[in-house]
Order: sequence, then structure tokens, then C-alpha cells
Amino acid sequence: MKKRAKYLLLSLFSLGLFIFAWYLVTDILHTFPAQALPSPTKVVLTLVKKFTKKAPDGGTLFQHIWASLKLALYGFSLGAVIGIPVGILMAWYRKADLLVTPIFHFLRPIPPIAWIPLMLVFFGIGQTAKAAVIFVSTVTNCILNSYIGIKQTKDVHVWVARTFGASNGRILFKVAIPSALPMVFAGLSLSMNLAWMSLVAAEMLAADKGLGYMIQYARMMARVDLVIAGMVMITIIGAILNRILSAVEHAVVKGRHMQ
Amino acid sequence: MNKVEVRNLTKSFGDLLVLDDVSFDVKDGEFLAIVGPTGCGKTTFLNSLTQIYDIDSGSILLNGEPVNLKKHSLAYIMQEYSTMSWLNVRQNVQFGLEIKGFSRKEVREKAERALELVGLTQFRDYYPNQLSASMLQRVAIARAFAVQPDLLLMDEPYGQLDLELRFKLEDELLNLWRKLGTTVIFITHNIEEAVYLSERILVLSNKPTAIKETIENRLPYPRSVTSEAFVELRNRVTALIKWW
Amino acid sequence: MNRKKKRSFAGSRTEALVYGILSLVILLAVWHLVSLGGRIGKFFPSPFLVIRDFANAFVHAIGRNTMLEHIFFSLRRVLVGFGLGVVVGIPLGLVMACSKAGRAFFMPLFSIVRPIPGLAWIPLAILWFGLGEQSKYFLICMTALVGITMQTFFGALYADPVLIGAARMLGAGKFQLFVHIILPSAIPNIFAGLQGSFAGAWCAVIAAEMIRSDEGTGWIIFNGMNYANTAQVIVGMVAIGLVGLIASTLLKALERRLCAWNIQGK
Repeated sequence: MKKRAKYLLLSLFSLGLFIFAWYLVTDILHTFPAQALPSPTKVVLTLVKKFTKKAPDGGTLFQHIWASLKLALYGFSLGAVIGIPVGILMAWYRKADLLVTPIFHFLRPIPPIAWIPLMLVFFGIGQTAKAAVIFVSTVTNCILNSYIGIKQTKDVHVWVARTFGASNGRILFKVAIPSALPMVFAGLSLSMNLAWMSLVAAEMLAADKGLGYMIQYARMMARVDLVIAGMVMITIIGAILNRILSAVEHAVVKGRHMQ
Repeated sequence: MNKVEVRNLTKSFGDLLVLDDVSFDVKDGEFLAIVGPTGCGKTTFLNSLTQIYDIDSGSILLNGEPVNLKKHSLAYIMQEYSTMSWLNVRQNVQFGLEIKGFSRKEVREKAERALELVGLTQFRDYYPNQLSASMLQRVAIARAFAVQPDLLLMDEPYGQLDLELRFKLEDELLNLWRKLGTTVIFITHNIEEAVYLSERILVLSNKPTAIKETIENRLPYPRSVTSEAFVELRNRVTALIKWW
Repeated sequence: MNRKKKRSFAGSRTEALVYGILSLVILLAVWHLVSLGGRIGKFFPSPFLVIRDFANAFVHAIGRNTMLEHIFFSLRRVLVGFGLGVVVGIPLGLVMACSKAGRAFFMPLFSIVRPIPGLAWIPLAILWFGLGEQSKYFLICMTALVGITMQTFFGALYADPVLIGAARMLGAGKFQLFVHIILPSAIPNIFAGLQGSFAGAWCAVIAAEMIRSDEGTGWIIFNGMNYANTAQVIVGMVAIGLVGLIASTLLKALERRLCAWNIQGK
């Protein structure tokens, strides 16, 4: 426990130091024009006020957060629910593997944000297009990681199960899937981060609400304080989502707590 | 009827001929030890029996029919570590029982008894990454014992264990064997162990492997390692394998 | 994960190839059929059209540049930005790992910057550097910086203490220790960081080009979208995917060359 407290203290100290330096440079020394770098107090104030103020972009911070979160989670869950089983099946059944994997290799190198224009053309400007982008990137990563996880199943474990008389399907559920879970979660974690980031980018391009839209609008209004406040919010929510996923992983994936 | 009938078993890996036209029987309820040089195909034989490998020609029959892992009751304790890292000790031991379809109550009870047998009761909630190598092997042994198999295959299971534990487990194995009437095929490098446990010893040759000799072991149980007859038999087997 | 079938190696290779080609053919066929049909077909150009447009783009310009020129623009941006990230990130990581003072000084700053998703920097980059090339370089640099620094830091930090102890015993000074032990043991990690960050950097280029530029592969798809030219969008996507793939393959090959001694561990 002592070590953890020490690191926590160190982190808080770093945070404090940084904010103090920032404060020093702006409010006291006025090294940069207020346009370029607002003081931390201004940013905090803006952030707090934005929770309830609709100006300048027409939505409160709550509304933006909710819009972004809703979309990200929707695309993410759909992608995970479809991607994980597909990845598992692809890895377990040889025919599926040989047929689908080549297609997959073509889709994988395309960055998620590159899908945005295509989706916008298909679905028009709206929530569906953005959700589709998140979906595609999540599905790709979940398939990949689940696939690798299953492929890494140790032969020894399969043989033990088979010698006891387990059928192929039984082996899949009793051996392959449990042993692949750490990899599956790694895929989920990666997808979540990618989803959150792609969503923000998509919102910058074509949206009328959401955190990405908010900071892009703030940029056009040259409101640096709002941009930074938005970045802070984006970062915090991303971190919270990560935390939640991590907690779920710990609860579900036992046996690796000492890794 | 013979429990296991091996007929003209031949197995190669690419160009390498490992098992060369091997034939022998294992009687029902017999304790057979197989000794041979490293890499001569002992493990290959067990893997062929359990259908991990496909054989090139010949046949292996169990109870007069081809091996059917679902129908027949086998347990195989492999040389490599085979505990499942995502299950704790208790769940690992229950693994075979669950696949065989025992009721929940039976699964728990049989697993508990097996754990007692190998002395791991107080470690039942531990995970493999918290255990030592010998404990992991004991988990595999408990897992095999728990299903009380018809045919028990063991590939140098006690190699990693200290002497005291080894003796204890050897005696427990004999107990179990007698109580259940299990047929046991036991592979080992340790001649003393082979002589201590088995009713018959199969000595294998180098690759391409054939049966060099079969030695009957009629020493009465319980055996004393220091008795004249024991030592004589041990020397006899050792002489056969001196060229290893 | 079925039986350990003793299939000949050559046999399984050709089987995979046959299925691979088969799946590609099926994909193209389905795509073509879909593009012919009603509602979806209107938005979906046939694959042959896309292939034709793709080949064409190397000869006739899209916008003001041919495909190669677009790729060049994107690559140049990514290399400059990535290069900046490397030039700043590797020394930063090494300093933080080797000097307690350095760590104390830079860690706080770094911890703040680290969790910020790369693309969230876009508006700030534009506000600070305008709409030109500089903001793109900044963006790409920031995206790549985090990964490179972290990997370098960890690689240097976790240099084998046994080796360090041995070297010290032989009388190695601080500088020699650094050059001969710490640096080499950090290199595999550095490369891992480079590879991981490159993917992110490539994403960042595309994003930057989509948001504001007049050329580049990202611009191709953005422009295609604006004119509802789906074929162009797909052409752009293919180009982006291909270039990204080639670049990361080259990076891997480079690593193999420089880190040959590490390969046996892989």
C-alpha cells in the first residue's frame, strides 16, 4: 500500500506543478497573448460554466458529452458483440479462416477515420454515419484480437480436453475461449480507445453536437479556453471509459492477476 | 479380452520413422511399465493411442474396438505442464469430471477426494501461476485420478517431484490401481520406479523403435526396494538398457 | 484448432492460396452484383470502376495532382511530423529513464499530455499554427510523441540490471554504460514504439488532410465525399490503406535488419 500512496502523491505533485507553471506563465508573467494560451483559471471557469451554458455552439457540455458517449458506446458495443464471435469462429473453423481472413487483411490497414467519408456518403450527415465508423473500426479490432487469442490456444490444453472425450464444440467453450479472454479484452481496450478518438474526429468533420463538434466550433470562434476545456473533458472521459473496461476485465479474467 | 491391443503400429514424422511395426497387448487391469531411451517414441505411442497423432499404419484397439475418447474412459497425464492457467486448482481438477458429465455433487466430491490424495486441499483456491512446478504436476495427477478412469496413461509423471512425495504418490497410485481395477500404462526413465510399480516391463529399443524385450515382474506387493529379488530384477533391466 | 494432421507443408500452403483467391473473387463478385442493384447500387460503384479510377489516378490528376503526388504529400507530412516526434521523443525517453532529475522535471508535463487522444489536438493545432503545413506537423508530432517516448523510456529503464552490474564491475563509466548497455537494450522497445506510433501518425495525417488541405490522400477521400463521388472515396481509401501497409512493412524490415540479434526471441 505504501508504494501506491507514494506514486499517487507523486502524480498529484506533478499535476500541481504543471498547473502552477501554467498559471505562472499566463496570469503572472503574461508570456503568451491570452488568445494563444489562456490561464488555467480561465479554462476551469469556462469548463464549469459550459456545463450549463449553451453558447457559443448551441449545446451544454452535458448535451455534448451525452451525444458523444451515446454514439461511441453504441458503435462500440455493436462492434464488440459482432466482432468477438466472428473472430472466434474464424480462428476455430479452418474453412472460415481460409475464406474470411484474406478479406480481412485488405480491410485492416485502412485507418478508421478514412471510413468517415464513405459512411457519410452512404448514410448522409447524421448519427448513423458516425456510429458506422465506430462500428467498423471496433469490429476489425475485435475480430483481430479474438482471432489471435483463439489461435494462441495451447495444444496441450486441447489435448487434455480431447482425451477426456470432449467434442470440438465443447473444447471451444471450455478451453479455447477462456484462454483467449485476455487477448479479447486487449482488443476491447484498443477498440475503445480507437472508437473514442475516431468519434471525436468524426464529430469535427460532420456533426452538430458532441465534444468533437464543440471544440471544432470553439476553434472557429477562436475560443482557445473552450478548446482546451473540451480537450480536458475528452481526455477525462476517455480515461474513465478505460478504467471501467479495466475493472470489468479484472472481474472476468481471473488467474492473471499476478501477471 | 485384452484391454489394449496394439497391432503393427507404425508412425513416422516425415522421413523419420519413429515406431516400427510395434505389436503388444495390455491385459485388463494390468500395470504395465514402458522404459526406453529418450526420443524413442514412448510419448509418440501414447499420443497415438489418444489420437493426438494419426498413425500411418497398424491399429490400436481398446476393449476390442477402435479408441473412442467419448465412450472410453481414459485419462492421460502428460509430461508437459498441462494445467489451465485461467482455472484455480479445484476447477482444474474438476475439469475432466465436468467433461465426462458427472452431476455437480459428484464433481465436487470426487475432485475433493482427488485433492486430498495429492495433498493439495489447502491450495484449492490458488491459481497455477502461484504454484510451484511439482504442485502443478500434482494438480494434473489429481485431475486424472478424479475421473477414476478405465485406462490411465502416465508419461513420466513423477519426474519433477522430490523423493518423499514420489514414494507417497507411487504408493497411492498402486492403491488406486488395486481399488479401481484400472489398467495403467506407465512411462518412465527410472528403472527403480518401473520395477517398484509394474507387473510387466516393456523395454523399447532406439529409433526406429521396436520392442526389445518384455520382462514379467512377479514380485509380490508391497515391494521392498532393497530386497534381493528386487535388486536382481532391477539389474536385469538396467543391463538391457546399458547401451542407451 | 483441430487435429494435428500430418499434412504436408506444401499442401497447406496451396490450399490457403486457393481459398484466398476464392474469397477475393467472391468478394469482388458480390460487390459487383450489389453495385448493379437498385438503391444501394446508386451509391456503390462497381469494383471495376474503382480499379479503373485507381489506375487512372496515376496518370490523370484528381484535383490538381496525380495519385503519386498526393501520396507524396501525405508521406512528406507524416515523415516530417513523425521525424519530429522521433527527434524529440527518443532523447526525452532516454533522459527520463537515465536521469532522476530529468524524470522529475519532465514526467509531470508528460503525464498531462499522455492521455490526450491524438486527434483531439486538431483544433488547438490549427489555432496555434494556422491552417497550413505547420499545424499538421505539430499534430502528427504530438500523436507520435507519446508512444515513442513511453517505449523508449521503458526500454531504457528496464535494461537488464545484471548486465549493468557486470559492466560497472568492469569499470564502465556512466557514458559507456549508456552507449553500450542501455541504448542497445532499449532499441527493440524503441522500434516497437516507432511501429505503433506510425500507425497513429498515419491516422493523424489523414485526419489533418480531411479537415483542411488541398492535396494529399486524405484530401482525396474528403473531396470525393463532397462531390458524392464514391468511386473516388474508395480509391482514396485503397491508397491510404496500401501506403500505410507498405510503410509499416518497411519499418518492420528495417527493424529486422538493425535488430537481428533480437529476432530469435520473437
